[in-house]
Amino acid sequence: MRDYLKPTLGSRVFDTANVVFMLVFCALMIYPFLNLLAISLNDGVDAARGGIYLFPRKLSFSAYELLFQNKKMLNGFMWSILRVVVGTVACLLATGLLAYLVNIRHFSGRKFMRILFFITMYFNGGFFPVYLLIVNLGLTNSFHVYWLPALFNVYFMLLISSYIQNQPDALFESARIDGAGEFRIYWKIVIPICVPVFAAVSVYLAVSHWNSWFDVVLYNPSGKFDTLQVYLRRLLLEMEGLQQIRDQQVLYNRYRDLSPLTLRAATTIVVTVPILLVYPFVQKYFIGGIMLGSVKG
Amino acid sequence: MNTWRRRIAKERQIWIMTVPMIVWVLVFSYYPMYGMIIAFQNYVPGNSFFSGDWVGFAHFERFFNSPDFGTIMRNTFAISGLNILFGLPAPLILALLLNELKNKAFKRFTQTLSYIPYFISWVVVASILFTLLGSDGLLNKLLIDFGFIREPISFLGEGKYFWSILTTSNVWKDVGFNSIIYLSALASIDREQIEAGKVDGIGRFGTVWHIYLPGIRTTIILLWILGLGGILNAGFEQQLLIGSPTTAEYSEVIDTYVYKYGVQLGYYSFAAAVNLMKAVVSVLLVIGMNRIAKKFFDTSIL
Repeated sequence: MRDYLKPTLGSRVFDTANVVFMLVFCALMIYPFLNLLAISLNDGVDAARGGIYLFPRKLSFSAYELLFQNKKMLNGFMWSILRVVVGTVACLLATGLLAYLVNIRHFSGRKFMRILFFITMYFNGGFFPVYLLIVNLGLTNSFHVYWLPALFNVYFMLLISSYIQNQPDALFESARIDGAGEFRIYWKIVIPICVPVFAAVSVYLAVSHWNSWFDVVLYNPSGKFDTLQVYLRRLLLEMEGLQQIRDQQVLYNRYRDLSPLTLRAATTIVVTVPILLVYPFVQKYFIGGIMLGSVKG
Repeated sequence: MNTWRRRIAKERQIWIMTVPMIVWVLVFSYYPMYGMIIAFQNYVPGNSFFSGDWVGFAHFERFFNSPDFGTIMRNTFAISGLNILFGLPAPLILALLLNELKNKAFKRFTQTLSYIPYFISWVVVASILFTLLGSDGLLNKLLIDFGFIREPISFLGEGKYFWSILTTSNVWKDVGFNSIIYLSALASIDREQIEAGKVDGIGRFGTVWHIYLPGIRTTIILLWILGLGGILNAGFEQQLLIGSPTTAEYSEVIDTYVYKYGVQLGYYSFAAAVNLMKAVVSVLLVIGMNRIAKKFFDTSIL
């Protein structure tokens, strides 16, 4: 009895080593952000000397001040937010409706619809044919390219669908007997009961919209609908950053203490912070989403 | 026929909602598949998919015979292979270690931090890499301070470092998030088995080896088979964002090659041929892997 209750020496050594490993692991996960934060809050000329690890050496907010006066950055921020809101809501409502329709027992086309969409999950031509299509449709250089081609998501349809399947059918049937139309049932009954799965799906949708970069480059070469990620990418290509600072410095003579390094760091923080801010609130939903997925899969 | 019509009439409401969905899926998913036929033509942009002259497999042959073919295949398989080699076991090991943590609050804290990189865009990851690996970045500074090197190394400018940087970034980004699925599988293992193991005195390592690992065997196999099925997907944004013309020798993979030729240089038919080749092989791989899963392990992913 005693043997298995009392931890052995080896066991305790392992526990300690494990905790140490986890602390190092935590540091690895979070340090790059802390480093960027420190650099972004430092004086630009001083930061260029290097050697800033965890805390700013010479505190300065000019990088942020400049960023928040920069029209391009603010425009990017606005388009990013608009894209997240429109893209997430549109995809959620459309995919949710599809998931409900393929679950209506007396709908003769439910199997057909399921298969029609399911096939596209495995058979898709890759990005190039879709690119040709979007060019041919004239959707380039428009905001619609952000939400329309991604309106239905098969994986999320399966997720929501399996959630609806687990709800009692009587819920919808009684509304039907009361004479409610299918869209009304979707709006008034399905959406409210699906809040947990909708929340999980919307986390993934919102994050992927916020983070997407390549489709902006591909479909909006005019730069009119540049999102925040694209703006950050521009800064990463140093020349652009330098040029911008020079232009700005003519305008604002007081920002002498800027460097591409701090500006880049500040922009990265601005791009990352919205995710970190909503992150604690949505954590339980995205884990819920994975569990739902694994139940089905 | 009559009953059919009556049924449709009864379901009119539903069909009305369905029609736009069918139109959408035909336009955005099926039509592009059909558009792949330009791989067998000399397609001129703006024309319909039927007006080009047919050239058969000429573009495919051109790709196979080009000097790029070997490099691109090598890069694709090397990057994917490294991702599988390191990216698949890492979350499993992390999950097993997290599972051994006694302090639940600390475990939750570690998990919370570990998911964060997954939600960060590749643009931000690139920015982090530029900062840490630049000539005045942290890594060079440390290496110089400890006397390993005298002059800063241009990690991002030299191709030979590209694979390691990419693999590290991939693992860093996904390890925490991918461990969730293993942790949930571990949590579903029967407590009694673990207690029985303790009574038998198999020790903690024995518990992991004889109870935990066999208990999540299906999950492991499923995820690894999925990983192998996607071996041609070596990533795309990360190559474009972290790679540069000086690293192209090591960073060019199938997808970026299609982008270069199709979008930047405008060789539509050639790009479509490369793209089609990849799509066909990918589907075959997924189907093949699914067969293996079904036959040997009685699980299915399709």
